[in-house]
Amino acid sequence: MVTTAWLVLLGFLLAGYFVLGGYDYGVQVLLPVVGRDEAGRRAVLAALGPWFFGNEVWLVAFAGVLFGAFPVLEGTLLSGLHPLMVLLLVGLVLGKAAVQLRSRAWARLWDVLVVVGGVVPAVAWGLVVGVLLNGVPRGASGAFGVTWSMVLDPFVVACGLTSLALFTAHGAVLLSRRLVDGARARALVRPLIGVVVVGLAVCLVLGWDAVGVVNPGAALVVVGGVLVVLGIGYWRRSFLATACAAASLVVLLGVAQYPYVLVSTLDNSMTAAKGAADPATLAVLSWFGVLVVPLVVAHQWWSRWAFRGRVDQRTPTYF
Amino acid sequence: MDAVLLARLQFAGTTTVHWLFVVLALGLVPLVAVMHTRAALARDPDVRARWERATRFWGRLYVVNYALGIVTGLVMEFQLGLQWSGLSKYAGNVFGAPLALETLIAFFAESTFLGMWIFGWDRLGRRVHAALLWLVTLTAYASAYWIMVANGFLQHPVGHEVRDGVAYLTDFGAMLVNPSALLALGHITAGSLLAGGLFVAGISAYHLARGRAEFQWTLRMGVAVAGASTVPAYALGGVQYPLLERTQPTKMAVLGSGNWADVGHTVMLYVAYVVFLVALVAVVLVHRKGLLRWRVLSVPLFGLLVGEFVGGLLFGEAGPYRVPIAVVCAVLVGVLLWKPPAYQRFLAPVLVAVIPLPFVASVGGWLFREGGRQPWLVYGELTVADAVSPVSATATAVSLVVFMSLFVALAVADWVLIARFARRVH
Repeated sequence: MVTTAWLVLLGFLLAGYFVLGGYDYGVQVLLPVVGRDEAGRRAVLAALGPWFFGNEVWLVAFAGVLFGAFPVLEGTLLSGLHPLMVLLLVGLVLGKAAVQLRSRAWARLWDVLVVVGGVVPAVAWGLVVGVLLNGVPRGASGAFGVTWSMVLDPFVVACGLTSLALFTAHGAVLLSRRLVDGARARALVRPLIGVVVVGLAVCLVLGWDAVGVVNPGAALVVVGGVLVVLGIGYWRRSFLATACAAASLVVLLGVAQYPYVLVSTLDNSMTAAKGAADPATLAVLSWFGVLVVPLVVAHQWWSRWAFRGRVDQRTPTYF
Repeated sequence: MDAVLLARLQFAGTTTVHWLFVVLALGLVPLVAVMHTRAALARDPDVRARWERATRFWGRLYVVNYALGIVTGLVMEFQLGLQWSGLSKYAGNVFGAPLALETLIAFFAESTFLGMWIFGWDRLGRRVHAALLWLVTLTAYASAYWIMVANGFLQHPVGHEVRDGVAYLTDFGAMLVNPSALLALGHITAGSLLAGGLFVAGISAYHLARGRAEFQWTLRMGVAVAGASTVPAYALGGVQYPLLERTQPTKMAVLGSGNWADVGHTVMLYVAYVVFLVALVAVVLVHRKGLLRWRVLSVPLFGLLVGEFVGGLLFGEAGPYRVPIAVVCAVLVGVLLWKPPAYQRFLAPVLVAVIPLPFVASVGGWLFREGGRQPWLVYGELTVADAVSPVSATATAVSLVVFMSLFVALAVADWVLIARFARRVH
């Protein structure tokens, strides 16, 4: 019961990160496309504005809760995904630093890094989801190590490209609603959602027999739901639609592998209880969690509300 | 090289770069918060405008510095799982809890509030805006507390029992008041304020020497904060030796051995003495009028303190000559107060030159704290070699090279930007 509650919180944090950090990556990818000149690029970066720190911290909180509440899963998962996580982190570091340090000096170089720092994490998260849905070779030792041949599996690559398209579409919707002059971003939304739908179809075909999907029925329901939501998003260009699609990556992983949190191809899958911390630890964490999680939601909501509205190139960026 | 050494180098490198940005962030943020509060509460529009300009100037330096702190911290958090999965297997039940609470309670709020503060000019109410920076300060120090609780457990593991080779949490309260965490937190707080104070003092002196009179206020503030931090930094460092004797005898045995943890300790000690002395002399010169008013107290007090640090610098410890050195130093302090030399020409170069020194000293201190813990990861319970992830040496070497070159390049770019913004006036 307590373990399930923490698993839900963990999923909530990761889904929140995919929704919020996800549009950051999309906006970064679209920087040169939507921002054709310096004023346009400043406006695009201003759209990230005050929430850029707050978005990334959902990932930090996810990692913290993963370590605190699911230490066995954390150690196995991160060390097992070593090369993929290193790639992801390098992309994250480059992108985060470039958006913040981009000033008028060396603007061209920073712009390239902003885009690279958007593309790499957006692809890498899709690769991570794909690898986990395929199942990992976790044997009797309890550890596993991902290889590049596992990453370059067609299904996994399709997942990576689809997540890139999804986050980019999500970023385009955000820009179309956030920029005073959002026409260029608005025009991109429908083609990008179209790409996502095609990508999802390809993933379905390539991954219909993925070993890591313990509950194929539930996974199909999630994917079907996402297709319906994206269909609505196509007509309404709705932020809620792409946000739900981004969050569904977590839901998909969660329901497809339930009751496991890590499915092995070598008959050593890990259940949530096996991956979790001792009940005594979870009890201590729960006392804090009950108090803190509402506060987190409150200050996140306050920051969104205080800075609502549209931006242009005159809106302050970091400098 | 074997995977253990490579993984250690990677974590040490990441943590060191991270710390260099954290120490300035912790040291600078309360000063900027005070500046912003003075602006928010000022009734006189000129005074308000002056402090608002100061807040924007120092706040920008703080924010540029923060950028690297956040990205290196992210990598550090992931490295615990990437390279040290044995730690989560052995001590995840205990060590993970403070890390989880740090992110949820402190860092989450800190990032959200800082984002709001940076973009809050002309958008939020003046008092709410200034209050946000105090929230950033509060959460930054809360963050430091939880991290030190986690680190304190590695140094002096308390509040748990080991069953079948796995640690289980039994007394969370004992972890929260672990002396190895609390004393170190006090020590790094004082050290950070010393670094932040000297940073503000040095850059202010630079501008003051170029005729920008407005910087006299921040010079006075920076020097005062640096001077006031010397004694706590020194004392809270000193009281940790008896604790180490009791809890980590092998770390004490490192002293004098000449290995790199010992070198770190020596560097910390002597660089700190120099920094302390510069800070105190700067207080005497910059706050001369106030000290003259309280000369009955200030001359003996400053004589004693300066004497303590001069003694440390000359003899390692002030010990046998404490009294004569203090008397001589009190006389010198008196001379500086009553007949100050024409120091103005030297103030800016000296104060700018000492800006990096507190950072050097604190990295030395960390080398001693972490290097002296070897070969243990959790002191007396889990060795570093047993905690390393089953990741190949090649993969670890690749990530080591990639992360280190990335961090060094970004850190240099960040410092260049800080230096550029520090020279530019408003």
